Amino acid sequence: MKSNFTLALLLAAIILPQSLTAQEAATESKPAAAADQGEWGHLTGTVTVDGDVAAAKEEAVGDHADKAACLVDGKVPLDDNVLVNSENKGLADVYVIMYLKKKKDPAIHPSYLAKKAEPVVLDNVNCRFVPHATFVRTGQKLILKNSDAVGHNCHITTFNNEHNPNIPANSETEVKFDTEDSRPGNVTCDLHKWMDSVIFIRDNPYVAITDADGKFTIENLPAGEWDFQFWHKKVGYLKKLSIENQKVSKKGVTTVTIAAGETADLGTMKLPAKAIK
Amino acid sequence: MLAENRSVRFSFPNVIQLVKLNTSVFVLALCLALCLAFGGCEKSPAPKFRLNEVEILKQEKASLPQDEHFAESYDEEINAVLTSLFGTPESPKFPYLEGDEDEAHEFVNFDDLKWAAGRVHSDREGRPISGLYREHCSHCHGITGDGAGPTAAFLNPYPRDFRLSKFKFKSTPLRRSPTDHDMEMILRNGIPGTAMPSFRTLPDDEIKALIHYVKYLTIRGQLERMLISELSSLEGEPLMDMSFVPDGDLVAALVKLEADEDSDDEEEVEPTEEQEAFEEQLDYVLNELLLEGPLTRWSDPEDSVTEIPEVPEAIAASHPDHAALVDKGREVFFAKGNCAQCHGETAMGDGQTASYDDWTNDWIKSAGVDPTDKKTYKDFTDAGALKPRAIRPRNLRLPVYRGGGQPQNLYLRILNGIEGTPMPAGATLTEEEIWALVAYVKWLPYEHADKVKPKMVNNKAIAR
Repeated sequence: MKSNFTLALLLAAIILPQSLTAQEAATESKPAAAADQGEWGHLTGTVTVDGDVAAAKEEAVGDHADKAACLVDGKVPLDDNVLVNSENKGLADVYVIMYLKKKKDPAIHPSYLAKKAEPVVLDNVNCRFVPHATFVRTGQKLILKNSDAVGHNCHITTFNNEHNPNIPANSETEVKFDTEDSRPGNVTCDLHKWMDSVIFIRDNPYVAITDADGKFTIENLPAGEWDFQFWHKKVGYLKKLSIENQKVSKKGVTTVTIAAGETADLGTMKLPAKAIK
Repeated sequence: MLAENRSVRFSFPNVIQLVKLNTSVFVLALCLALCLAFGGCEKSPAPKFRLNEVEILKQEKASLPQDEHFAESYDEEINAVLTSLFGTPESPKFPYLEGDEDEAHEFVNFDDLKWAAGRVHSDREGRPISGLYREHCSHCHGITGDGAGPTAAFLNPYPRDFRLSKFKFKSTPLRRSPTDHDMEMILRNGIPGTAMPSFRTLPDDEIKALIHYVKYLTIRGQLERMLISELSSLEGEPLMDMSFVPDGDLVAALVKLEADEDSDDEEEVEPTEEQEAFEEQLDYVLNELLLEGPLTRWSDPEDSVTEIPEVPEAIAASHPDHAALVDKGREVFFAKGNCAQCHGETAMGDGQTASYDDWTNDWIKSAGVDPTDKKTYKDFTDAGALKPRAIRPRNLRLPVYRGGGQPQNLYLRILNGIEGTPMPAGATLTEEEIWALVAYVKWLPYEHADKVKPKMVNNKAIAR
C-alpha cells in the first residue's frame, strides 16, 4: 500500500511539471481545497445602453503608406471603441472585475488551472487589434500575433506593466506579465496611430468581458458575498449603470451574493448613453 | 496709466540733475530703491513642491462633466499626505514603513536625501553641506522633479519629468526601474545630443546622493499621481482625514494601527464610522498604493537586468567579416526589423515624425486635445504642461547616441526598446540579427547616402 502511494507521488512528480510548474499547482489548488468542495456559483448579466449613441467614425487612416493593407473589404474601417448591438442595445467590451479592496484573495476553482495554461492571443488584422478587449492573468502567456503584410508594434501600457515588441509582417511573439493592475490599460501601435485596444492584467481569473450582445458570465466563483466592478474604455467606471435591486457605487462597484450551485443573474443592466464619452 | 507716464516724464530732469550733482550718491540711492522695490530686505521664501495640476486637470476631464472641478479641499489633502510622507524641499522625509528594518533604506538612503535637499550651502573648504540637487539639477528638472524648471521651456528635448517613473536609457526592460549604475552612467556621461551635461567632475558620494534624491522625487511624484487618480471615486469622502493624525505623521499612525490590530486587547472604545473610514484609507494608501506600487518597483532592479552576450568581433570595421555583418544588418533594418518605418529609408529619422513621447501622450490623449492646435490644449499649458512637441526618430547618420555608443548600449536599445517612446523592443530578432543591426547602425554615419535601401525580394536583400 505504502509503495503504491510512493509510486503515485513519483508519477505525479513526473507528469505535473510538464503542464505547469509545481509551484503554480500548489498555489492554484490549495485554496480550492480549503473552500468546501462544490461551493461554487456563477454570475451573469447583460450590459445595455439606454438611448442613442453617436455613429462610429472612420478610423483616421488618412494617406498612410500602409493604407492598402489596412482596409476591410476595400473600405476604411470604423472606430471600434464603442460597439453597441443594434438589436438588443448590448454594449460590448465592458470589463466585469471582481473588486477586492480590503478583501482576501478568492479561492480559485480548479478549472481555471487548465485555462491559465492556454495562451491568450491578441492578433493584428487589417491594422486593428483582434479582439478589441483582452484579459490575461499574471504568468499567463500572451501571444502577440501579426496577420498583416505590414509590420506593427504592440505597445502595451498599463499602470504597472509595459511591453512594446516590434512584430514584423506575418509573425508572432509572446510576453508575460508579473504584476497585476487595478484597471485596464491601453494597447496601441506607434506605426498606425488609429489602432487602439484595451488590456487587463489580473492575478485571479474572475474577470469577464461583455460580448457583442453585451452579455457576460463568470463561472465557478467561490460562494459568498463579492464585489464586482464595471469598466469600459470610453466610460471609465460604470457608475451610472442601473441594475435592478442593486446599488452601484461611484467606482462602478456592486455587491452580489454568490450561492453554491446557482447562477446569480444581474439581468439587463442599463447604462445611459450620455455616460459614453 | 496716464498719471504714471507723466510722473516718469516729470522725474526725468530731476534724475539728470542728480547725476550731475553726485554720481555715487545717485548710484547708491538707485540700488537701494531697486532693492526695496523688487527684493525687499528679507530672504526669499523657501521653495515648495508644486502640485501636479496637469494630472488633476486630466482626471477632471476624464471623470467630471465639462468645466467642473474637484473640490479644492482635495488639493490641500494631497499636499498634506505628501508632506507627511516626503517632507518638503528644505526638510525631506521618507516613508520607511518598517522603520529601521525597512529595505527601502537600501535604495533611498536618508543621509543622502538630506545632503541633496535644501538650499545650496558649503563649508570653508567648499565641500557641500546641503543643496546638491538645487545646485546641479533643479534649474532644468525643477524643485519638484517635474521637468519644468526655469530653463525647461527653452530646451529641446525637454528635461525629464521624473514623476511618471519612466527612464529611457537603462539596462533593464520596460517598466523596470533603472539600476543605480544606469543612473550613474547618465550623470557621468550626460546625454549627448541633449542639454543634459556630464557631471563627471563630481565626487562619487555626491553622485550617489543625487541618484537617491532623484529616486525620492520619482516615488513622491508617482504616489501623487496615484492619489490624484483616486479623486474621481471618493464619493465626496475625504482622501485622507488628517484630523485623525494630530502630529501629521501618517507612517506612525499606520504603525500604531497595525500594532493595535495585532494585539489581543479587548476593544476599549468602538471606533466611529469616520475613524474606520480613515483607518481603511490609511491602510489603502500606504500599503496598497505606496508599498505595492513605487516602493516594490524600486527594490532590487538588479534582478531584472538584461544580459548582454559577448560582442562579435566582426563589429570592428577592420574585421574581414564586417562588410557581411553590415549587409545582414541592412537587410534586417528594412525587413524584419521594421526600422525604416520610423527612422526612414535614408535612416535620417524622417519616417514616422508625428509621434509623441509618453510624457506628452500622458495628457494629449485627453478628450478634445489636438497637440497641433494650441486652442485645444491651452488649459493644460496654463496648468503647467509644456507645449507638446513631436518626438523625432533618431537620425542614425549622425554618430550621436543618447544612451551611449558602445555596441552593448545599442544592443540594449534594440533588444528592449526605449521606455516612454515609440521605439519598440526587437522581440522577434535573434541575437545575431541584433548584432548585425548594431554593426549597420554604427556603420551608417560613414555610408554614402545613395546606398540605402537594397533591392528586396521576398523580404531578402539581393546583391547589387
